[in-house]
Amino acid sequence: MKLVYELNNITLEQQHKIILNIPQLTIASGQCVALLGENGAGKTSLINLLAFTTQPNHGSIRFFGQPIRSKLSPSQRCRIGLVHQQPFLLPGTVADNIRLALSLQGVKRSDIPELIKQALKQVNLTNLADQAANTLSGGELKRVAIARAIAYQPDILLLDEPFSHLDHRHIQQLEDSINHFAQQSGKTVVFSTHDRFQAHALASSTINLVAGNITAAPLLNLYHGQLNQHFFDTGKMKFHVTSTQLYARHLAVDPREIIVSPQPLQSSMRNNFFGRLILVAEEGHAIRLTIECAERFHVIISPEALVSLNLSLGDTVWLSFKSTAVTVF
Amino acid sequence: MNYFTESLLAAFSLIISLDADIFRIVVTSVSISIIATLIAALLAIPAGVSMALNSFTGKATLQHLLNTLMSMPTVVIGLLLYGMFSRLGPLGSWGLLYTPTAVIIAETILVFPIMMNLTIVAVKSADPRLIPTLISLGARPYSLIVQVVKATRYAILAALITGFGRAIGEVGAAMMLGGNIQGFTRTMTTAIALETSKGEFERGLALGLILLIIAFILNFALSWLNKS
Repeated sequence: MKLVYELNNITLEQQHKIILNIPQLTIASGQCVALLGENGAGKTSLINLLAFTTQPNHGSIRFFGQPIRSKLSPSQRCRIGLVHQQPFLLPGTVADNIRLALSLQGVKRSDIPELIKQALKQVNLTNLADQAANTLSGGELKRVAIARAIAYQPDILLLDEPFSHLDHRHIQQLEDSINHFAQQSGKTVVFSTHDRFQAHALASSTINLVAGNITAAPLLNLYHGQLNQHFFDTGKMKFHVTSTQLYARHLAVDPREIIVSPQPLQSSMRNNFFGRLILVAEEGHAIRLTIECAERFHVIISPEALVSLNLSLGDTVWLSFKSTAVTVF
Repeated sequence: MNYFTESLLAAFSLIISLDADIFRIVVTSVSISIIATLIAALLAIPAGVSMALNSFTGKATLQHLLNTLMSMPTVVIGLLLYGMFSRLGPLGSWGLLYTPTAVIIAETILVFPIMMNLTIVAVKSADPRLIPTLISLGARPYSLIVQVVKATRYAILAALITGFGRAIGEVGAAMMLGGNIQGFTRTMTTAIALETSKGEFERGLALGLILLIIAFILNFALSWLNKS
């Protein structure tokens, strides 16, 4: 599979603070990738790196196999469409904004009207072509920004927090627009989000970011603290872990590896906590339980397990998991 | 009081009767200022936008220099250029002293730092998302400058008007380099100084009133632009 991005030993610093530290990352063509992480995890910085609007302090990035030294050539730039978290539309109509993008990319003047139509059709906003950009709603504005970014038919669409501050209806419309682009042959989409469910609903793969580091650990049960011998202390709870690495500051527990029981389990599992069930939610074909201990835990179980456990909200339950279900980094 | 009122009435009468001498001075003054403003704009706007968009070594020093030049007394600019353009000066052979060109050069130098500084402020005051958006849409250095100027055109136009206001009100350098030659380098400000010293107060007052009207129009345009 053709690689769109190859990042090696990337470090990005801002004001003497390491914002991103990525030893290696590759993104293949045709994927829809979600960058998942909390606020401040480095999602926007990574999107900007992938858009080549920010330069890393150290490391190299290959773009479609070509090493990029500093700036992209015009032919490389037109392969990327970028939508910022709060897109900026210039004064004028929706069509004017798309026209500007096309003319900046050097598209022939005679081709522009047709490309504007196509772009607006893809985001289902054909009727808004002549509307002033400053009169659009939040959802419409983001879709117009997507139309502007895809008008020149880039190979990659980068979106920074596209679903933030939108209601359910606009999220649905935006998802349709992104899906429409992603389904075209060879098109790659990378979007950032802090919403894990959104990421899994839309993306074919996810990149989990914690404090500028990429981790394979799922981020549903993520805690911050200090590792001391075989215990990770969050200040509220102590987890038994197998890792002995010195500088771990984060801990994640796989939500599928946690066993829920109404009574304490007699087992060799080293981590046993009790808490109160505060939420039961359907998540795809599984059930997500939220349990309030000293820290909040999320557990993924099957619908059959939920029936057999016969749980009600407010019940006290026991959580048990092995040290190997825990990832520290 | 009677003297002042009579002079004021005489000044109005000179303006209303479209006195040829007065209007020759006005045309000379306005044309010199427009040319100086346009030359300064051609240099200062791209320079200001480029400086606002880029980081480079010595940027802070350059900014300090611009600020110093903004507050430089016009008579000092006049003095330095007089030394350059006088017969014994390094550019004496060009024969520019006591010509409108010398006054235009002086006013351009005077207006340039003001316009460049105001352009920098205009670009820095623009929406912080403007430049990243344009770059992400594929704007290259030249098209980036053009689009930034377009987006900040009202603030840049305000810089242009401020520069013109500074040029038309300038007296020290115009007097030293133009020589106040009638029908050639005599501007409104130098004429006011001359007519008043000659005792032709009403002529000075007439020119002063025209200068005030121009200042009023410029301020009106500026406030309209600020609202825009």
